[in-house]
Amino acid sequence: MELQWPLILFTFFLCVAGGTLALQGLLTVLGRGKQMQLPSLIVAAAALVVGGISVFLHLEHWERIFNGFGHITSGITLEFIGCIVFAVVLVLYFFLMRRSEEGVAPKWVGVVAIIVGLALCAVTGDSYLMSALPVWDTVMLPVYYVVNACFLGGLVAMVVAGAVKCDDALGLTAKVALVAGLVQLVVLVIYAVLINNMGGMFTEVTYYFDPTLPDVGMIDTDSVVGSILTGSNALAYWGGVQLVGVVVPVVLAFLAMRGAAASKFVSFGALGLACAVVGSFIWRALLYMVAVHALPFF
Amino acid sequence: MANYAIVTDLNRCTGCLACTVACKAINGVDVGNFWIKTLRIGPHPTEGGSGHFPDVEMYFLPVQCQHCENPECVRVCPTEASHIAEDGTIQVDKEKCIGCQFCAMACPYGVRYLNETEKVVEKCTLCEQRISQGELPQCVAQCGARARFFGDLDQGVDNFEGPAHPDSPGCQYDEMTKTRVKMKDYIEAYTNDDIHHLTDTGNAPKLMYILREGRKWRA
Repeated sequence: MELQWPLILFTFFLCVAGGTLALQGLLTVLGRGKQMQLPSLIVAAAALVVGGISVFLHLEHWERIFNGFGHITSGITLEFIGCIVFAVVLVLYFFLMRRSEEGVAPKWVGVVAIIVGLALCAVTGDSYLMSALPVWDTVMLPVYYVVNACFLGGLVAMVVAGAVKCDDALGLTAKVALVAGLVQLVVLVIYAVLINNMGGMFTEVTYYFDPTLPDVGMIDTDSVVGSILTGSNALAYWGGVQLVGVVVPVVLAFLAMRGAAASKFVSFGALGLACAVVGSFIWRALLYMVAVHALPFF
Repeated sequence: MANYAIVTDLNRCTGCLACTVACKAINGVDVGNFWIKTLRIGPHPTEGGSGHFPDVEMYFLPVQCQHCENPECVRVCPTEASHIAEDGTIQVDKEKCIGCQFCAMACPYGVRYLNETEKVVEKCTLCEQRISQGELPQCVAQCGARARFFGDLDQGVDNFEGPAHPDSPGCQYDEMTKTRVKMKDYIEAYTNDDIHHLTDTGNAPKLMYILREGRKWRA
């Protein structure tokens, strides 16, 4: 399938927004990260807005958006509702933080922030589960989005915590980035192996010919799904997604933890985040490149 | 009210592409887009044969929207633009379509296209404009091998109809189009085991294909 960049950007920025809010919620529950509250909310809100604008660019008739959403159980409608709930929680968190005498949002809002931040990513992943596309139709897709949100959220929080010198949060942000990164590495291996073994899930007729595309070869589904681990996309997967996108940020998070200086969290976190962004985009692009319909030869 | 579908006798289909062309002509389908394609499946060696010509078999497969019982395109549509019409067909309300193209992704058969001019998704309508007036879908009416038949599943597939003269097969075109035959009375004998559907990923496709013993159904 052709790359749908607006959707790739949308899911990426939603993971940034969800992860940032969820991590700030965790810090709030643990009674830490007071100085980070407002910057985290601003980052989460900005990511939500950019993601929202991105997905609008995908719509051919965005001006009809308010005519729609009549189908309440469709994935897109649930995503839309999720974004609205997310925005409400952001505003709620902000006002409760402002109204508090200590300048800290109550812990129950932290719990809500964790749930809503991660749920939005899970709902986004769930909306792409389609039996027509076996590569997407697996629980590993929403699992990846949730883990990716934690990873990106951890790296964003490292930068924010370092920038505002929020000492009581520094260690935790790097720990989250480290653990989430390692979990993402495992999730990505499982997902890639799963895709690699999906050859039998497509209709296989061996030989066929499409007279409307006489110069286009037959689709070899085995080589398409096998391209990630050992085929033409192996370099992008092992080098871009895993090495640059996960291993390097995890190492940087580990080094920042050992150094403990706030400035290191900013520089290492920012570099790690840049690498994670690259890996996140490549993986999302790969998921489009190997997305083949169950009956692939129309 | 009804449950319309099409059945194609693949033992009769000659791959003439008349259905493909007729559909494009009557529905104004964009260049490069197809609401129905006729694919060649094979040739494959026949089972137990020498592995070489003439021990081979193949068939042509017209593929279009299968007007599924449990359509994924309808499930994912956020605006209910894709919907199940009263006659059992799957239709797209172009006024509601926001062009998100999730239906095109969710269709197991990839038969939906974005109309680049109108910026909405389109696909086979079973010639809604014709069947609502009692006419046959154009792909059925123009089938060069009289392999395609249209009807109401609730009335049984045997009663599906195609345009042909019941008594005078060699009649003139104009006369032929004014008369219809029932599939069971017209085509070679078939059993329930000879009736096939495209790959079902839970969407329960309604369109059917007849492929009799001797050729292996592969799609």
